[in-house]
Formats: sequence, C-alpha cells, structure tokens
Amino acid sequence: MDFILSQLAGFGTAFVGLAVDPLTYLYLIASVFLGITFGALPGLTATLAVTILTGFFGNKIPLDYSLIALLGAYVGAIYGGSYPSILLNIPGTAANAATAMDGYPLAKAGRGGEALGLTTTASFIGTVIGTITLLIFVWALLLVSKNIASPEKALLALFGILLSGTLMSEDLVIKGWIAGLIGLAMSMVGLDPLLSEPRYTFGWSYLMSGFQVVPVLMGAFAIPQIIDGLRHVEAGKVLALKGRILPNLRSIRRYLPTIGRSGVIGTGVGALPGVGEDVAGWVSYGVGKTVSAEGDKFGKGSLEGLLCSETANNACIGGALIPLLVLGIPGSPPAAALMGAFKINNVIPGPTIDPEIILRVVAILVLASLTMFLMGLFTARVFIKILAIPQTIFLPVVMVLTTIGSFSVGGGINDLYLMLGVGAVAYFMNLMKYPIAPLVIGVILGSLFDETFRRSLFLSDGDLSVFFSRPGAAILMVLNIGLILSQLPVAKRAFSRLKGLSV
Amino acid sequence: MDKPDETLVMRSRDFWAAIVLITVSVFFLWKTSDIPLWGENRAGVSGSDWYNSAAIVPLFIFGGLLGLSFVLLAISIRSGGAQNALTALGIGWDKSEAYRASTIGLILLAYVVGLVPRVDFILCSGLLITALTYGYYGGHARRSLVACIAVASAGLFAFAIFPAQADWNAHGDDWFTLVLWVSLTLVVLTKAASERLLRFVPLVAILAPLILVCAMAFVFRQNVPARGGLIFKQIEYHYYVTLRPLWKD
Repeated sequence: MDFILSQLAGFGTAFVGLAVDPLTYLYLIASVFLGITFGALPGLTATLAVTILTGFFGNKIPLDYSLIALLGAYVGAIYGGSYPSILLNIPGTAANAATAMDGYPLAKAGRGGEALGLTTTASFIGTVIGTITLLIFVWALLLVSKNIASPEKALLALFGILLSGTLMSEDLVIKGWIAGLIGLAMSMVGLDPLLSEPRYTFGWSYLMSGFQVVPVLMGAFAIPQIIDGLRHVEAGKVLALKGRILPNLRSIRRYLPTIGRSGVIGTGVGALPGVGEDVAGWVSYGVGKTVSAEGDKFGKGSLEGLLCSETANNACIGGALIPLLVLGIPGSPPAAALMGAFKINNVIPGPTIDPEIILRVVAILVLASLTMFLMGLFTARVFIKILAIPQTIFLPVVMVLTTIGSFSVGGGINDLYLMLGVGAVAYFMNLMKYPIAPLVIGVILGSLFDETFRRSLFLSDGDLSVFFSRPGAAILMVLNIGLILSQLPVAKRAFSRLKGLSV
Repeated sequence: MDKPDETLVMRSRDFWAAIVLITVSVFFLWKTSDIPLWGENRAGVSGSDWYNSAAIVPLFIFGGLLGLSFVLLAISIRSGGAQNALTALGIGWDKSEAYRASTIGLILLAYVVGLVPRVDFILCSGLLITALTYGYYGGHARRSLVACIAVASAGLFAFAIFPAQADWNAHGDDWFTLVLWVSLTLVVLTKAASERLLRFVPLVAILAPLILVCAMAFVFRQNVPARGGLIFKQIEYHYYVTLRPLWKD
C-alpha cells in the first residue's frame, strides 16, 4: 500500500510539473494532431510518425518535450487509424485492421458517429489501462532486472529478436528470423564495443562509429512506405458520418467488461518484445469473438468487436513501453523508434534508467490520452476531411521531412546515403514479405547482444555453461530453444494433433 | 491472382532471395576471417583466447544467416520455386508496377545523392514535391516519366558538374534546378484547370521545405543541407543581419 501511495505521489509530482508548463500543451496538441493525421491517412503509420519526429525533435529540444512530441504522436496515430477503418474500410495503420471488420459495417448502417465516439472512448480507456499497468509493473520488473547479468541480457536480446521475427512474419517465420539476423549483422559494423576492433568498415571512416540509429529507422520505416504509397493509387470513398459522436454512457457501461479485458490483453501483448499493436488488436478481437455471447455478430457491425480491437491497440502502447524502459528492449515498432530517441539523447533505457524519466513518461501518456480523447470527440470532422486528401500530397512532404530529419541528427550527407541504402533493402524485403520490425530491433539490440554475450564469455573464461548454469539464463535459454523448436514442422504437426484431440 | 499462384510466386522469389542471402553470408563469413580469432595480437593485447575475439558474434550471426538461407532454399525448392524461378511467374515482372517503382526509385536517388548535398534545400525539395505529386497523382504513366526526367536531369547535372565537395556551394546547379522547377510548375498549373487538387501543389512545394529548413536552422539551431544554397544563403544572411538585431538589440 505504501509503495502504491509513493508511486502515486511521484506520478502526481511529475504530472503537475508537466501540466503547469504551457509549452507542454503546445507540443501535446501539435503532436497528437499530427499523430491522428498520420493514423488517419492510409499509408502513413504510427511508426512513421514517431520515426519522423525522432529525426525532427530527437535531440534538438529538452528530453521532456521530445518525449511529449513522440508519445503524443504515438498515441494519436494508433487511435487515428480507426477513422479510415470505419469510414473507408481501409485500416489507417496495421493496428486498426481488426477495427475495419465491424467499424465499416456500422458506418454503412448509419452508425458511424456512434462507432467513432465509442472508439475514441475505448482508445482513451485502453491507453489509461496500459499506462496504469506500466506505472505498477515497471518498478517490480526494474527490481528484478537489477539482478540480471550479462548472460541473461544476451539471451533476452536474442529472445526479443526471435519473438519479434516469429510473431511479425506474415509469410514464413524463417523470414522474420532472417530479418532479425540482418539487423544484428548491420549492428556489427563499426568498432566493436569491447576491444575497439574495426569490423566491416571497408576502410570508410564514416562506418567506424557504426550505423546511426535514426537514418536506419528512417530508411527502414519511411522509404518503403513512401515508395509503396506512391505506387498504389487508391482513392477510397469516405462514407458520410451519421449520428452524434459524443459517446452514449449506457453503451460504455454495458461494454465495460469487454473494454477492461481488451485493455489487459493489449497491455500483455505489448509487453512482449517487438510484437506491437496490430497483433494486440487481432488477439483481443479473436478472444472477444470466442468469449462473447454475441460472437456471431462479430464482423457484421458489432460494437463489441470494434471495442475489442480499439481498446487493445491503444493499451498496447503502455505495455510496449514496459520492456523498453525496464530492459531496453522495444515492445513494438514505434517503441523501437522511441528507443532511437532515447539513444540520441544519451539516455539508456534499462535497469539503470533514471526513475524520474519513467514517471514523466507515465504522466505524458496520461496527458496525451486526454488530449487524444478531447480532440477525437470535438474535432473528429476535421480529421474526416483529412481522409479525403490523397497520399500523393502528403508523401512527398514526408520524404522532405525524412531527409532533413535524417541529415540533422548526424549532420552529414553520409547519413542520407545510409538512409537511402537501408530504404532500398527494406523496400525489397517488404516486397518479399520479410517483416521490417525485427530488422530494426536487431539493429537496436545488436550491440547489447554483442557486448553482453562476449562479456559473459570473458567472465567465465570461455565456458559456455554460463548460459545454462544460472537460473535466469537457463529459463531464457529454454525459451529461446523452445521458440525455435516450436516452429519446426514436426512440432507444428504435433500441436495440431493435440488441438484435434482436445476438440 | 488467386492464392496458390501468389504462394508460388513468393516461393520462386524466395529461391532468388535465398541465393542472394547465401552469397552475402559467405562473403561476410570470409570478411570475418580478417578479424583475429585465435590468439593473434588484438587491440594491443597479444595471445588472447578465442572468446575475446570480436569475430565471435559475427561468426554466429553470419553462420546462422547461412543456415537459415539454406533452409529457405530448401523450402523454396520443395514448393516448386526453383522450377518457376526463371519463368515470368518466378521473376514476378509486372511492367507497370516495375515502371512506377523504378521511376520513384530514380527520383529519390537523384534527390538524395545528386541534389540534397549540392543544391539549395528549398529548391530541390520544391522540385521533388512538385514532381512526385504531379507524377503520381491519379496514376498517369506519362506524367511520372516527365517528373522522373525533371528530377533525374537536375540530379545528374548537379552530380556531373559539381562532383567534388569543394564545389558544392557553387550556384550553377541551383539555377538549373530552379528553371526545371518553374517549368514543371507551369506544366502542373496547366493541368490544374481540370484537376483542382493540383492548384495547391506550388504552394505546398514552396512552403513545406521553407518552413522545415527555417525551423531546423533557426529554431532548433541544427545543421541543414547545402547551407550556401541560392535561397537559404539569403535567408540566413537577412536573419542574422536584418531580423535578429530587431529583437537582440
């Protein structure tokens, strides 16, 4: 009880500190608006919003304002994706794919206003659930993480990359693992972290410091999106918004258990390294369909189905920040971009992070979700107008933003060449259905894996049993091996046979 | 295209991807042999053990990548990917898609490699925004070709005439880009009569880079590309000489 009270007191102090600063609102309103705009425009994603703002604000303003801008855009974009899902039947971001299943039929039936109002409320409650979970669990996990040594860190980094590769692959799981390994390989370029031995620099001095995070993020997330968006000419027809947007309190009360359950699922999925909001939305939707008394109405315009996905994808934000702040392992692709922002500000997320930063992140998330809620209710029609603007107007400006953001972080032309090179690779990987998130997570976690793996060997004099003999390391090793083995055809056949028996 | 065909196309492409990945993995495994592994001098320390080597993790990564590439190759061959690898199905060549993607790629390449380092950022970004919006709004093939030619020729001119960094502040390429931008804007405005959206293109093309570059340079005090560019040089001069004294004094 004392712990919870002290937590609340710390949070209150951080919250008031931010709330009395007028600049906070300037950054909040601008970033949430930009985030919702990015989410509402199909082809622009939450990851892209956070990535571009990382380049633009990353290390140019105080960290607090930088975090307000990035988290505001993150929260706004995940929510904003519900607009085209409901009114165009095109998910604004992958996180809102499940929303379109019920949102569009509702809009066609003339209940678009009601759907948007409930979505706004559910997104707000979802973000708050994720944030509260973050506030409570992050400390307990930080205590545990302080006892984590090099072997566990190395295996955890590997687990994050493998899990992200496994869950983000839309074709073969092996492609996700390959993407993760490519990311790891990219992180090997430059001077090695322990002996300063140059690796794969090909005599180019720029590569001595390795690949900079921001150009890699920009290249991996922005360039393929820009090329893809310009390649596909899609003009959707926006349905007219009928009905009032202000939510009906009776409906919210009725669906409160659904919102609560979806919030918990979303937070849980978010806490898995590198998985993200799209998986959270679908998992919550699937669970909702299974346990709901009206499961047969899902996909035909069910308010419950709509709430399942929209609550979960926003709750995922708080969840995704748990592994990021506790272990330095991003829980979702936008969180990976956020990690880039931490890195360029010389803040190292993980067991040694300043607790003040965590409290401020929580306070910012609450403020951002409130801003999103008010904007969603009172300026929804502005965003609906934005839906009518074709991508070809926005994407060239995004390209210019990406270029200047990438250039300004490192201040060199080489960063732009790197961005373009990574962008070309990421574009072809996208084309071949390789997920990009594991690649980025591999780049971010590569140096951590390299350093901790080798430090473990240093300390054990080359004895590999160090990865089995410690309880934590043994558990993580089993998880890593289990994850790989679970994807073998033999294991998959066994699972399906077991399923068959249990039915 | 129905589902099985799509899978077959993917597996055929996977065949090529696996070969590329195997080649890359082998190349980098070979490059890894440059990093001392067994007891040589490293970082000024002699006689180190294998586990101190900076090559350990790269060996693990590229070894893993090689192994996974072979698995991918096996999956591809088993699914018929190898049989179709050299057919039109395997190469997956869609002429119009390839045309669109390659023109966009060429525009971005000319912009990043040729223009941004050498040409005033407002000018080259204005040209890029005008070209991309005009070329890809509505999916007209001829327009995308015109857009591509405009940006590629500006990029090629800048790259060919001023290759060395010492010449990047010269203004010949700025003027050339400006002429191309104005010409393309006139073309856009002639089409704007029938397509209302195109009327906004010149406005967006001027304002977006202007605001971005000024915010970056004067609000965040960051470095911006081509500081000595035709327009930015004037902006910077008047900011420090004409405007700033107004509130500094």
